[in-house]
Amino acid sequence: MATATPDTPLSRGVGKLTGGWLGFVGAMLVLVAVGAYAYSREVSEGMILTGMRDVGTMGGATWGLYISFVVYFVGVSFAGITTAAVIRIFNLNRLRPLARMAEVVTVVSLVLAALAIIADLGQPLRGIVNLFRYARPQSPFFGTFTLVVAGYLWASVVYLWLTSRSDAAVLARQPTRLQWLHRLVAAGYRDTPAERERHSRATFWLAIAILPMLVIAHSTLGFVFGLQVGRPGWYSALQAPAFVVLAGVSGIGALIVLAAIVRKMIGREVGLDMYVFGWLGRVLLVLLLAYAYFMVTELLTATYAGGARERAVTRAMLWGDYSWVFWSSVALLAVPLVALMVQALTRRWTVAWLVASGIAVNLGAIGKRYLITVPSQTHGTLLPYVEGSYAPTWIELAVVGGLLALGALLIGMYMKVLPIVELEEEEVHA
Amino acid sequence: MTRYAMAIDLDRCQGCRACMEACKVENNTTESVFWMYVFRLESGEYPDTKVSFLPRPCQHCDDAPCVKVCPVGARFKRDDGLVLTDYDRCIGCRYCELACPYGVNYFNWAKPQTRQYLDYDHPDIAAATGGFVPPYKNPDHDRLYGEEQRRTSGGGHMKGVVEKCTFCVHRIDKGLQPACVATCPVGALVFGDLDDERSGVATMVHDRTHFRLLEEAGTRPSVLYFGGAPPSTESREIETVKARI
Repeated sequence: MATATPDTPLSRGVGKLTGGWLGFVGAMLVLVAVGAYAYSREVSEGMILTGMRDVGTMGGATWGLYISFVVYFVGVSFAGITTAAVIRIFNLNRLRPLARMAEVVTVVSLVLAALAIIADLGQPLRGIVNLFRYARPQSPFFGTFTLVVAGYLWASVVYLWLTSRSDAAVLARQPTRLQWLHRLVAAGYRDTPAERERHSRATFWLAIAILPMLVIAHSTLGFVFGLQVGRPGWYSALQAPAFVVLAGVSGIGALIVLAAIVRKMIGREVGLDMYVFGWLGRVLLVLLLAYAYFMVTELLTATYAGGARERAVTRAMLWGDYSWVFWSSVALLAVPLVALMVQALTRRWTVAWLVASGIAVNLGAIGKRYLITVPSQTHGTLLPYVEGSYAPTWIELAVVGGLLALGALLIGMYMKVLPIVELEEEEVHA
Repeated sequence: MTRYAMAIDLDRCQGCRACMEACKVENNTTESVFWMYVFRLESGEYPDTKVSFLPRPCQHCDDAPCVKVCPVGARFKRDDGLVLTDYDRCIGCRYCELACPYGVNYFNWAKPQTRQYLDYDHPDIAAATGGFVPPYKNPDHDRLYGEEQRRTSGGGHMKGVVEKCTFCVHRIDKGLQPACVATCPVGALVFGDLDDERSGVATMVHDRTHFRLLEEAGTRPSVLYFGGAPPSTESREIETVKARI
């Protein structure tokens, strides 16, 4: 077990800038710059540069890749803070190495979701002001902005800070270049037993408060779609719960990938053992099964009993313009489902398979988010408009790519300033 | 109280689309934007095909889904029944477009000046127009209207906001008919106050049966259709406009 003494480097790779890490930062910065350039073009010339167009006579989809990714990012955030809160509430000590990175994933993906919403607005600056100034609780968007972006992001940031604080206090004891930052994050915390007790209680109650909040917050994002009677394919009571379940799938998948990267970078002795990965694999399996159930229910209702317009959307998705997205998403979710089931039954988990599953379910989740957003607009008009089409342009792809790179960059930078895996008792008292 | 409504007589409509043209001229809407749109529909199999026409302005619903979903209250309903967009407040999220079952909303995807039908930057045209794009803009569209005193009239104002049919709020304000109604050569469109018994709309409601579009959506539109029949799932659109930009 690595112990932190004044003459050894900070544990968990904090402050250690390797060539690989710098290369990663450089690559991500390039992607972010490309995205920023694309967005600046979009702002100056208008959203005509995107592939989105009006629903109806113009035969387009007015929400496209951006909103698909808003939904996806908010989804990813779900698993992070849930995992952290569950670990805290039920004292799952062997899973504690996961808690910190889960919190980071939540905060980062919520920031990306907020930025993706801004990217989708025709008047972004006005949006930032008016969304607060003229907020209307009657709009399903209100939940997205207040609960998800404001309340939930804020609660997650506080939670992340409260839990990072003690580690920062420990790191601040050592005279390094980052000492000022660690002192700032610790903010007077000295890790006395009384302080630790108070923190433990605060995080416990915050975790309790976050759990119901995030089910509600995620449901409101489902309601953005599910409450629209004018859009066949959207109007469904299943929209909100299915959203929450797929959110869990993508978030746990992302967490598996991050945990594997961290394990590779700072070693498995920090507690990222097969027990942790096995637990993640089982949770992912259960969520995938639940989602498969939702999907079958939804498809059966739409194909067996759906109205004509409802069926047109489903047909476009199953056999028409969107079939390649649909069937590849199904494959990207079904193959991991089978792989995880085999691993669960044989009780032999392999990190490589888990990472492959984690990546696959995330791609599948992106595909499903796209299918929730787009087909109902191009093929789900209630008046007899001609069928529409939508394909993202390079502007949209560059902005989304830039956001993904920004997320990776933020996580990578966090790892170098604060421990991505919490310090253990013996390290704290070294 | 005033309760504005539009009556559309499908037995009279001949699908000439003059209303669409009048609307565009009156409201400065840009290329491929049709606040008023006339479906030319066909149903049945050859040789038993039927052609019908269906004008589609904004339905100015009493329970408007677009008003419900607008996160900033830019889309609002006036007491007299008009559903309007305050383009000074709209943030361009386009949620109204998706909530609307009728597809009447149009977003300004680019600067309206760059989406004119005529290339006003062309040297020959610029010489004639004095370089202004567009060369004439109705000053009525910049005024404030209604009790709320908000800028709601006309189109082609700025990029990144949603605009739609206003029932020509600036003309109603002067006691005029909406442009589409005033233009219709066969009197298929009638506009008036439902609460005024002598109005054309009230008389039609009294004398004849009518239907409203997509009544099952529960939106309670202020546009009433007389004669003809609602479009069915058999209806196919023919002779579409050049609508994709």
